Amino acid sequence: MEGGLRRSSETSCKALPSMSSNSSMINDPDQQGGRFNSMDQSCFARPGQSFPAFPPLFGVQSSSLYLPDEKIGNQFEPNSSLNNPTVDWDPQTMLSNLSFLEQKIKQVKDIVQSMSSRESQVVGGCSEVQAKQQLVTADLTCIIIQLISTAGSLLPSMKNPLLSSNPAIRHLSNTLGSPMGFGFSCNQQPNTNDEVTIPEISKTPDYEELMNSLNTTTQGESDELMKCQNPCGGEGSEPIPMEDHDVKESDDGGEGENLPPGSYVVLQLDKEEILAPHTHFCLICGKGFKRDANLRMHMRGHGDEYKTPAALAKPSKDSSSEPAPVTRYSCPYVGCKRNKEHKKFQPLKTILCVKNHYKRSHCDKSYTCSRCNTKKFSVIADLKTHEKHCGRDKWLCSCGTTFSRKDKLFGHVALFQGHTPALPMDDVKVTRASEQPQDSEAMNMVGSIGYNFPGSSSDDIPNLDMKMADDTRYFSSLSFDPCFGGLDDFTRPGFDISENPFSFMPSGSCSFGPQNGDS
Amino acid sequence: MSEEVQRYGGGGGGVGALSLDLLGQVLDRVREPRDRKACRLVSRAFARAEAAHRRALRVLRREPLPRLLRTFPALERLDLSACASLDDASLAAALAGADLAGIRRVCLARANGVGWRGLDALVAACPKLEAVDLSHCVGAGDREVAAVAAATGLRELSLEKCLGVTDMGLAKVVVGCPKLEKLSLKWCREISDIGIDLLSKKCPELRSLDISYLKVGNESLRSISSLEKLEELAMVCCSCIDDDGLELLSKGSNSLQSVDVSRSDHVTSQGLASLIDGHNFLQKLNAADCLHEMGQRFLTNLAKLKETLTVLRLDGLEVSASVLQAIGEGCNNLVEISLSKCNGVTDEGISSLVARCSHLRVIDLTCCHLLTDNALDSIAENCKMVECLRLESCSSISEKGLEQIAICCPNLKEIDLTDCRVNDAALQHLAKCSELLILKLGLCSSVSDKGLAFISSNCGKLIELDLYRCTSVTNDALAALANGCKKIKMLNLCYCNKITDSGLGHLGSLEELTNLELRCLVRITGIGISSVAIGCKNLIELDLKRCYSIDDAGLWALARYALNLRQLTISYCQVTGLGLCHLLSSLRCLQDVKMVHLSWVSIEGFEMALRAACGRLKKLKMLSGLKSVLSPELLQLLQAFGCRIRWVNKPLVYKD
Repeated sequence: MEGGLRRSSETSCKALPSMSSNSSMINDPDQQGGRFNSMDQSCFARPGQSFPAFPPLFGVQSSSLYLPDEKIGNQFEPNSSLNNPTVDWDPQTMLSNLSFLEQKIKQVKDIVQSMSSRESQVVGGCSEVQAKQQLVTADLTCIIIQLISTAGSLLPSMKNPLLSSNPAIRHLSNTLGSPMGFGFSCNQQPNTNDEVTIPEISKTPDYEELMNSLNTTTQGESDELMKCQNPCGGEGSEPIPMEDHDVKESDDGGEGENLPPGSYVVLQLDKEEILAPHTHFCLICGKGFKRDANLRMHMRGHGDEYKTPAALAKPSKDSSSEPAPVTRYSCPYVGCKRNKEHKKFQPLKTILCVKNHYKRSHCDKSYTCSRCNTKKFSVIADLKTHEKHCGRDKWLCSCGTTFSRKDKLFGHVALFQGHTPALPMDDVKVTRASEQPQDSEAMNMVGSIGYNFPGSSSDDIPNLDMKMADDTRYFSSLSFDPCFGGLDDFTRPGFDISENPFSFMPSGSCSFGPQNGDS
Repeated sequence: MSEEVQRYGGGGGGVGALSLDLLGQVLDRVREPRDRKACRLVSRAFARAEAAHRRALRVLRREPLPRLLRTFPALERLDLSACASLDDASLAAALAGADLAGIRRVCLARANGVGWRGLDALVAACPKLEAVDLSHCVGAGDREVAAVAAATGLRELSLEKCLGVTDMGLAKVVVGCPKLEKLSLKWCREISDIGIDLLSKKCPELRSLDISYLKVGNESLRSISSLEKLEELAMVCCSCIDDDGLELLSKGSNSLQSVDVSRSDHVTSQGLASLIDGHNFLQKLNAADCLHEMGQRFLTNLAKLKETLTVLRLDGLEVSASVLQAIGEGCNNLVEISLSKCNGVTDEGISSLVARCSHLRVIDLTCCHLLTDNALDSIAENCKMVECLRLESCSSISEKGLEQIAICCPNLKEIDLTDCRVNDAALQHLAKCSELLILKLGLCSSVSDKGLAFISSNCGKLIELDLYRCTSVTNDALAALANGCKKIKMLNLCYCNKITDSGLGHLGSLEELTNLELRCLVRITGIGISSVAIGCKNLIELDLKRCYSIDDAGLWALARYALNLRQLTISYCQVTGLGLCHLLSSLRCLQDVKMVHLSWVSIEGFEMALRAACGRLKKLKMLSGLKSVLSPELLQLLQAFGCRIRWVNKPLVYKD
């Protein structure tokens, strides 16, 4: 595993410059220095680059970092406030961060000292000890967060500190928090925690070490946590089961391609790079671009030296002498079929494939269709594709297939025996009927009769229809769920309770609910 | 027969000894409902026999429906079209307690109150359902149709004027009811080509299809042409269908026998000619009001249908004598021809037509102004079998021509002489036609009591008489009619303003009378209406518009006695809110009321009266001024019960 990682980082080191298009700068250390001295943005940090060559740069999130500091005393969910991935580097804030860390460490030290002295004196005052222990763990967590996030900007794979730091924090806070949940069965716990965490922290100057330790020692668990720890925010408090790793593979590229395992170079981009909106950044002003050509055009504004034909020309490939190796990409998500560690590893063809695959499979679906408010997408192009077809004219067959056009639906209905177009609100009726024909029929009749007697008006009828239909849906979705497995909510992607206004109706509003559920 | 049965029934023991089966057989042979009722009332045995044997039931009120359905377990046909204030709840409740396993046909025409829940219950209760009529349920939509579609054995379905039905509803039906043989989609304007396409793919058994007034185009005809068993196709006023569509249809594999393209503007004789090319066994062709000129090819092709064509309608066509002659020579077996409003129809043309078509039974010559007695002579000479002769506005004919008809055509059952200026002498001749059922004499102002006396004495079977604006008619004529024509069901006396209350007194003896129009009879009062209401128990429709002397007394009488009244026009009558209120609250069957310019009725009167009849009314006609003053809840309520209100805005003008 270790070797594999290293190999990949090496290959990526080789291959990346050609992609990053700023190869010339990376090849020229002076220019690098000049770049960083001029306080440019550190956007080209790559795995495998030698860090000592870098001045102590800190991709600071000063504003966001102070927030958890204030709150950290009593809460262990710092990730929510760390969601802003702005990479804004400022030595002043960095300094203040460091001094803050110093203060904090001193504070913890004081507390622990007082605790140890008091422990020798008095045995009682359990609650006080407890409070102090709590304080210590909180402070330690705070320090770790601060450290990691402060340092993170420098780390090759931690350009976005939140991603890689969070799992670790999470992990730590879990280990720290768990004994407190059990009411301090062991007084030694904080100390052991210190033993566990401090060695890691002690390595913090050596960022690569930390990264490796994070990637290797805690990899399994942190990855597991990462799955729900979505970079786009939103806390998934429980890990999602692993089995859906291999589900979404379509149109990620590399499908049906049977390259023999050794015949290509595998690149594995980090998730931060994958998720970065732009891949080409101006070294002077930090403006990001999607295309290198655009960046070069942009560079002309920064001075005459960028206007030379050589600067404007497409950078020639380093490896022009030797033919470019066949490169394929690996998904950084461990356990994914697209990850090179997977037994049936299927590489991704292009960076775009990687980007789309990673977003689709391992990220939150943060783009919601504004028309139907149901469908969510993680790739904005997918949303746009969906929005083209989403709308009122959803033509639905009784089999559940939807069509964008009525004639397509009718063609489908004509083709298949027994299929029939589903009227609005009708789909539910079908499923319900198949579930419980007898009960629901009686229910339907009685309900309708009962409802109709007091001079029902035709104005009401559409509403009634909806109500009836939704009633049934309500039965089928909520009443049956407790019987048929609580996981239903997770496995049913489209189920969104807020969409169904009538599902909020108390079950008592219809006396058939419980009976239905029981039977 | 009925008298005999009654006698036995009165005897008691004799009838009781017979088996239910036998009694049922007897009852099956009693045709008249009234006689059957008499049997039922007179003998318990008959009542039991009828309960066990009755196949058809027409219910007029909602309340007895549950009991009736339980009483007659052998019902096969259920007609709920006239059942007042029927709604989902009452229908479902009635169906719940009854055994309806035998029911095959249900008519719910104009049952606006019945929605998908009621239909759901109906279909669930009647497993053998084969025919459903939902025509004129204007509120019915896809949901209702989808409920009907659950009846998998359905063979006939009428969705005429179910305005809410779309392709989706149609698709439900065609998938749910693959055995469909007869389907009417008339006026379902939302249905399009793709719906028709699916229909033709899913219902191969279809024999009769009505797509009149639909916005479908030639593509539909392409789909329809694949229906091999299709015999009857009506496409009235399908303006998107043209000759190309008919061409597609002609290449199809249908077994078309009857085609109706009337009022389809874009169809020409060319298209019809190609249609005939493909279907050589057409029996009925209705091209009324769509052709403008007779194409030669069409004419020659018509001759190909020589053996089969029996019905030909060419209303509104420009025809010459030669064309009629060609038709006569080409289509010898014609039974019915309609040349209504055809320009150029002359005596010569008619005589050359009828010379070869001796089987004609129905001849429509409405508005063929050029015709004279000569045409009637040739018809009388050649078409001895003629049963129906429509001669409205043929003002040049006289009693001489009608004399020939009366002599030669003993089977004449219907004759329309509206606006023909016939006189009493003509009626004297027509009186020879003892089979006459329908006689229309509107606007024949010279017809008087004398002529009607001839009719009354001989035409005892008459069921419809139209005396619209026969201003010479007086009470005596009514006395004679009441004496001689006991079977009259429909009587129009509008503007016969010499008629008074005593005349209406005579009408009281017409027990069969269902429709009575007394518009603008300014002399009649509540007394006359009372005698009509008391005597004519079966009165369903009554028009009292502009009967200025009618007051609350008339309404009280109607409220008390005319229990079957369904349609009532009392516009311009001097009735008050009290009378109106009483009327509307009493008459359980009343569904259609026209009450324009009831100047004596206050707003509160309208409000109260309408509230009293809220659940029953289906159609209203009122002054538009009332729209704003009546309470919105009331209007909403009326709408909710499926009542359509026609608001009119016209000045109050009194005329005689």
